[in-house]
Amino acid sequence: MKRKQIKALIGGLSFGTALFVFQACYGMPQDMQDDIFIEGKVISQTSGLPVNGIKVESDIDEHYGITDSQGEFGFYTPWMDSLKLTIEDTDPGSDGDYLSKDTVLVNPTQEMFLNIILEEN
Amino acid sequence: MFSSLKRLSFRKFRKVETLRHELNYLFWECTTRCMLDCLHCGSDCHVDSTHPDMPAEDFLEALDTIDTPAKNLIVALTGGEPLLRKDLETVGMEIRKRNMRWGIVTNAYLYNQERHRTLLNAGMGALTISVDGLEQSHDWLRNTKGSFSRVDRAIDLAVSSNRLNFDVVSCINQRNIKELKEIYSYLLDKGVKAWRLFTIIPIGRAKENPDLHLNNKEFKEMLDFIAERRKEKAMDVKFSCEGYVGTYEALVRDTPFFCRAGINIGSILIDGSISACPNNDPSFIQGNIYSDNFYQVWQTRFTPFRDRSWNRKGPCANCKDYSLCQGNGFHNWHGDKYAPLVCHKGKL
Repeated sequence: MKRKQIKALIGGLSFGTALFVFQACYGMPQDMQDDIFIEGKVISQTSGLPVNGIKVESDIDEHYGITDSQGEFGFYTPWMDSLKLTIEDTDPGSDGDYLSKDTVLVNPTQEMFLNIILEEN
Repeated sequence: MFSSLKRLSFRKFRKVETLRHELNYLFWECTTRCMLDCLHCGSDCHVDSTHPDMPAEDFLEALDTIDTPAKNLIVALTGGEPLLRKDLETVGMEIRKRNMRWGIVTNAYLYNQERHRTLLNAGMGALTISVDGLEQSHDWLRNTKGSFSRVDRAIDLAVSSNRLNFDVVSCINQRNIKELKEIYSYLLDKGVKAWRLFTIIPIGRAKENPDLHLNNKEFKEMLDFIAERRKEKAMDVKFSCEGYVGTYEALVRDTPFFCRAGINIGSILIDGSISACPNNDPSFIQGNIYSDNFYQVWQTRFTPFRDRSWNRKGPCANCKDYSLCQGNGFHNWHGDKYAPLVCHKGKL
């Protein structure tokens, strides 16, 4: 306990590694940028079953995830106070044909779980 | 007076950092396979490595021993060539789940649009690409015709991303020292924002090849070039942290030389060995994840890295700059360890 307190005190008094951002000689730069993890599940409005092959894409640098057979997806995207997501069927016909839709996330938290219901075409 | 105070406060800062030894940077040598056969390779890597790739779960188990990860802990996936692993995205996601960041150091030969997307979606936040000259000199060092065009494509992808903290590194040698200005213009035109220049340390395959090493005049020429470019501020150009360069320190880097190997930088090597930087002499290995608790080793061992008084010998014994240099970059201590392989300051 005492050792931890001493270390914390020393940490506070030092220049702080955050201030002295470094990179290892043979490594890449540090990564301090804010991003968020968006995950979720896509199901069919008609059947209530998970939908495979749906692309959920943020409007920033084309970050996206594609649903698996469980209808689940997950991807990282840069944080913005307002983030537009486009949801579209990448393989219409294979397990139904679904209408695309958009949604906007305002002030998203660092991790978000979305339940998405898609309407069939 | 002011500069003495500055030196004193920096020495104190370094002492405190050493005492804290917070793990901020962890290399994982995830493969020793590589599709290239570079002349200067510091690893003992081959197309068909004798070492099988470390299973991802073994590495993640070692990561899980870190009970209180530093806020800015980043994992550098390195090799060999990390892009040869198909599971980087899965590993990357797992790293992020543990509140750590990750990135890769790559020769970029396999870096294409599809991989760029999948790596970014898996939370990759940092990328370093090696560019060792213009087409001819790059392909010469990389020992593979066409490797420059692959790098050129990868740079376009990297600069297109607002998410990536991206830089280019170059190993400066006899073949490319005369084209520094052209490389700079090329990178500037491509939109690269940060460029780090290295020299090649005589280890691995680079030991026997004189074409790879700069003479003292060329070394100074490279530092002068960096200092000039830094004044222009068009790009963040710097000398890597490989060694102490005396009066050039303030001219070629943002911060004074501080080798953080074993202080803030650790590594897990292909066979599970625990060390500081992957290119440190194997005699400095501190443990193995297959027999030791990784974080316990980090917390309790690493004495030769954190108390460097052992290297105040040979040419370093009476050097007046020792308190600032502390025997140069740790990767310079190999073999009998009587003296560093390179004294950068001595070249000036």
